[in-house]
Amino acid sequence: MRILIIDDAPEMLRAFRDILEAHGCEVHAAENGEEGLARYAETKPDVVLMDILMPKLDGISATKKILDIDPFAKIIVISAVGKSGLDNECLLAGAKKFIIKPFKIKDLLSSIDSLVAQ
Amino acid sequence: MKGIESVQGYQEEIIEAIPSTIIIVNRRLEVLYANRNYYAKSVAKRERGVLGERLSRVIPSMLIEKTGIIDKIQEVFLTGIPFDGDQIRYPGGMFYFYKIYPLKEHEESISKVVIFMENITELTRLEEELRESYVKLENAYAELKENDEIKSEFISTASHELRTPITVINSYIEMFQEGMLGELTNIQQEKIEIISSQIEHMIRLVEDMLDTSRLESRALKINKSPIRVDDIARTVLDDMRRLAGLKEQTVSLSVEGSLSELEGDGRRIKQVFNNLLTNAIKYTPKKGKIRVIITDDPKDIRISIIDDGIGIAKKDQSRIFEKFYTGSGSSLIKESGRMGLGLAIAKGIIEAHEGRIWVASEIGKGSTFIFTLPKNYD
Repeated sequence: MRILIIDDAPEMLRAFRDILEAHGCEVHAAENGEEGLARYAETKPDVVLMDILMPKLDGISATKKILDIDPFAKIIVISAVGKSGLDNECLLAGAKKFIIKPFKIKDLLSSIDSLVAQ
Repeated sequence: MKGIESVQGYQEEIIEAIPSTIIIVNRRLEVLYANRNYYAKSVAKRERGVLGERLSRVIPSMLIEKTGIIDKIQEVFLTGIPFDGDQIRYPGGMFYFYKIYPLKEHEESISKVVIFMENITELTRLEEELRESYVKLENAYAELKENDEIKSEFISTASHELRTPITVINSYIEMFQEGMLGELTNIQQEKIEIISSQIEHMIRLVEDMLDTSRLESRALKINKSPIRVDDIARTVLDDMRRLAGLKEQTVSLSVEGSLSELEGDGRRIKQVFNNLLTNAIKYTPKKGKIRVIITDDPKDIRISIIDDGIGIAKKDQSRIFEKFYTGSGSSLIKESGRMGLGLAIAKGIIEAHEGRIWVASEIGKGSTFIFTLPKNYD
């Protein structure tokens, strides 16, 4: 299973990588929305994990742009921003799921697995 | 006018008692009458005997010039319409207010006018002071509001910024616990549990901070669905028994009447129970009793959480629902390990459900926290 993580916090990227590699995933990473867009085209991941607040291109805009390239892209937004209504905004942008930080590894992995199985 | 007949025979006394300066003049502007106050007040140019004198000789020329009072009197004689008053500033910082009324003897014919004059210096000064205080108050309020906004913004930012590092730490703790990073020795396992419970505590603090900023921006969302309050209470009590067990406390639940379902946010109501019961356990000594009583009132469901703990001082009772309030100086209510947000959040949640929350307590005799949830909430 190939996963692309787009998050501007290097420590977060590292943690995601450790969790997902232990789960047997091939992990690719990008540090902002713009880089994420380029990486998406190169790697064609099964699932994208997307942060919201990032330099250059924010997560919601990046979600929309990825879906322009690939309408079947499976994107999970994972954010530290708990502003109410943000979950709906992400789902409206085309994300399949909204997860708030901090999350349980179990919940993250089951969300990824069920998305891939769809 | 009704009652005016009682004035008959006392006109003189009444007019003399009026605290204004009163002067009556004829068409030739000769003074026909000046009351006691004319002589007593600073407007007087003469001490006695002004009757028959020209008005211009009995009041200061400065006042005549400033007011243009002569023209105004002529106009009242001409039109018969009262001059309703004007305020003038007099050198030396004095303020006067005056009015001119025609006195009609027969239809159409006006032979006299009455001039009322009032020294309003004190009143004007008070008015100015009031205006100044108002401006000061407005500025202070604006400043306070700005500070409050900065503070809210800070809480919101801080709780967001803390989430990423907490997530990273929590992820590795979970990986250790799940055995994803190899087998742990018993001692390592034990220490990881400690780190885990502390990071969970930190997560709760961050959640509380975020809820507080949501309450302030009125962004706390209530997701309504049919809920049973007694079921929620049972779930929370089951979770809490372990904590209460550490202090050998007994926690009981009694439900009075047959409870109906109501519309509410189950997760948020659970949070209210959690916050109130955590406090009850914390402030009740070893082997104490904590009772939860749910009653079905006509219009709402009422939940009472009663402990026989240390109680809350009267002066603290009105303030404990404020955010960041952790009790006054020597108070025993001081919330250790929390930020004084639990009750503020509980209040916010209950009020978002259009319910009420309050406390009854006496030092040394325990506390009863009560909240209501309306049945017809929509």
